[in-house]
Amino acid sequence: MSGLERLTGGRPDEAARPAPAIEFRSVSHRYGRIPVLADVAFAVAAGSVAGLIGENGAGKTTLFNILSGLAPLQSGALRLRGAAFAPRSYREAVEAGVSRVFQEQALIPALPVYENLLIGQEHRFERAGFRNRRAMIARAEAIAHEAEIDVDVRRPAGDYPFSVRQALEIARACLAPSLVLGIENPIVLLDEPTSALSVDEEAAFFRLLGRLKGRATLVFVSHRLNEVLKIADRVHVLKDGRLTASRRAGEVDESELHRLMVGRERGVAYYRQRTRVGADGAPVLAVRKVSRAGAFREVSFSVGAGEIVGVGGLLRSGKSRLGRAVAGVEAIDGGAVEIAGAARRSAVAYVPSERTREGVIGAFDIARNIGLGNAGRLTGRLGFWRARRETALAEEAIRTLDIRASGPAQRVATLSGGNQQKVVIARWAVRKPRLLVVDNPTRGVDAGARAEIYAILRRLTDQGAGVLMISDDLPELIGLSDRVLVMREGRLVAERAAPVERKPQEEDLVALMIGLPAADAPHREPRLQPAEGMAP
Amino acid sequence: MTAVPAFRDLSPRLRAHARAWLPVAVVVLLAGAFGVGSDAFFTLRNATAIAAQASTLLIACLGATFVIVMGSIDLSIGATVLLTGAVSVLALNAFGLGVGAVAVGLGLGAALGLVNGLVFAFGRIPSFVVTLGTMSVFSGVALRLLDGRAVSYRSPAFEALAIGQWIPRLPNIALIALALWAAFVVVANHTRFGRIVFAIGAGEDVARIAGLPVRRYKVYAFVVSGALAGVAGALAAARLGAAGPTLGGDLLLNSLGAIVIGGTSLSGGVGGVHRTLLGVLIIAILDDGLNLLGTDPYTQLVVKGIVIILAVLAGRGEAVETPK
Repeated sequence: MSGLERLTGGRPDEAARPAPAIEFRSVSHRYGRIPVLADVAFAVAAGSVAGLIGENGAGKTTLFNILSGLAPLQSGALRLRGAAFAPRSYREAVEAGVSRVFQEQALIPALPVYENLLIGQEHRFERAGFRNRRAMIARAEAIAHEAEIDVDVRRPAGDYPFSVRQALEIARACLAPSLVLGIENPIVLLDEPTSALSVDEEAAFFRLLGRLKGRATLVFVSHRLNEVLKIADRVHVLKDGRLTASRRAGEVDESELHRLMVGRERGVAYYRQRTRVGADGAPVLAVRKVSRAGAFREVSFSVGAGEIVGVGGLLRSGKSRLGRAVAGVEAIDGGAVEIAGAARRSAVAYVPSERTREGVIGAFDIARNIGLGNAGRLTGRLGFWRARRETALAEEAIRTLDIRASGPAQRVATLSGGNQQKVVIARWAVRKPRLLVVDNPTRGVDAGARAEIYAILRRLTDQGAGVLMISDDLPELIGLSDRVLVMREGRLVAERAAPVERKPQEEDLVALMIGLPAADAPHREPRLQPAEGMAP
Repeated sequence: MTAVPAFRDLSPRLRAHARAWLPVAVVVLLAGAFGVGSDAFFTLRNATAIAAQASTLLIACLGATFVIVMGSIDLSIGATVLLTGAVSVLALNAFGLGVGAVAVGLGLGAALGLVNGLVFAFGRIPSFVVTLGTMSVFSGVALRLLDGRAVSYRSPAFEALAIGQWIPRLPNIALIALALWAAFVVVANHTRFGRIVFAIGAGEDVARIAGLPVRRYKVYAFVVSGALAGVAGALAAARLGAAGPTLGGDLLLNSLGAIVIGGTSLSGGVGGVHRTLLGVLIIAILDDGLNLLGTDPYTQLVVKGIVIILAVLAGRGEAVETPK
């Protein structure tokens, strides 16, 4: 990807001490041809709290998956309390004392709290096929008491609010191994535990972690750097699948963590940006106070002809669903989306982020995939399909977008990710849309095809189209956009001009996304309470 | 595939070809076996009988194939045939419609399909559940109309439409079935309707996001399925000389069996109307041959069930072929 260098050798400097709880030794992992982890090495001391930070797609979740048996260890070595460890299932990991609190809640609302706390361990309370409820309740009460959570364990978990259920889940992960399984020093993986909590709930969460500190080894992922610095002993930074730093929490501050997370270099030329920005074009899209329950609220902005407007934000900031709403793929609850001088469906192109699920039909050939979006012009008299015209469209697209294929009859499943993405773009490009909405257009695309896709988007804007680009890739967001919008918790919180000579800094944008009180943040919105069960 | 290791070693392309030709091989194999087992099998008379028997099934399967290509299922075909057969005979007797009774079957079938389609597409209920329910409703209504008895008709024109022979040795019902088959092969492969139905089956989300009117075409597919079942119902009654409670009774198993044996995947997007002809032939030859060999009807059910499962086993794995 980008030519970056590792800042540290990654050799754990605590190797001399008694065996660390977890030790990664040059762990690498790839999904198909795409590398997600490269040579990651670090250790977590027993009983300590480790923070794991990095951008979306940096490899944090994959690391957790390997540790909890959900992804195989492909190369490198993993040691648990000094012994080799390669769990083949989540159950195996749990039995070794590694448990995980997922981003989505895993408690079953209809079951009483005590059954939830002891789930998977019921057989330890059975005799001759009968379950000893009283013993289960007593054990569950011990867990709740130890964590100082005030609940009646006989009531259904669903009776308690989100924050209590999450506290229960964390307590289960930290205490059930020692109180039920008799495992000393369990390891608990927390994946963005505070992303759905309000401010006071967050405070309660940190008090809980304070009480549990020392009872378990905790590894946790978070986008909120201040919170990482508050509770972690050490912070490990991942960037593009590589470990860029392992620091003691006292040795770094937020701005240095920012730099370690996102800092990288890539020239303007890479994004083929013109020096004169096309933002002076008449608006092709005007969005006025659109809202969608559980996704985004009262968002207003516009996109001009020839302009690329980027939208950044954290995973659940609402940016992707805003894109879907603008494209007309998802309904809105209020507000208005106006496309200059045309009916919405025919003038707006949408390139989804989930290419294989929503973008292309792998079993169909290129011609058919392009034909899907052009049914109107490919339907002849009496409803007959103009297959020859479809083939001609595909041939034209293959030529103009430089799709590497044997011809229009090649099955899309056999193309590379980048060429598949070009097919999705081609479906719309052949009908000259006024507005293109693209969601992570280069996700899972190799470097070469990535540059080509940037060139294609630039060419479309040269022809007068406007582009709304949702992206999790910061360099792309900054490099390609003429203007950058930042969303946080369903709100549009900032807008930054991004002309060639005056690009916004990655650190500033990240601060806006996370909601840090950065000096240049113009206004802080009140926190939005996300609805429970909000779609990912 | 583990059962046939050699098969796995073939190149994907060869494998796809092998799968595509499998039904043809089965037809030849079955015909050969029954020919050896019974002198009566390879006779013109028997060929005529097979053609007549297969016709109702083929017509009913044509529309249902679209529903299955779309990734849905229509369990109500047998019941639709029963109800449309009963109503067209009753209408014929009441109003002396003659050949026009087929139009009654067609119209009523389309209406029943519309009900299925609307509930499925707009109620967002799985098609399996919707058509399971309407299967019961349609056959209940039909049995009430017939009062549990067979109702015969007297109309030489209507009878001739089914069992007459404009082409010698080929019953008209078979001629009509083949003509409809040819027409719907064209519909499947060369029209907007066919294209969109295949796209929905292969990738509904992709189709919707590409801007295709997915819900509307789901309804259309069920209307086509119902309309063709309606034609099959009327013609079946015409062939049998009456509409009775057992009309269409074996169609649920036979239609799904024929479509799947032909190579259309129940998960949608793969297969096609052209292949359903082979599936229908296999079912019809199996029925006819087992009869000639004197196999009792219960054993026939066992054999047919096993053949259907084997067909699905042989056809599973990667997509058999992309539609042409």
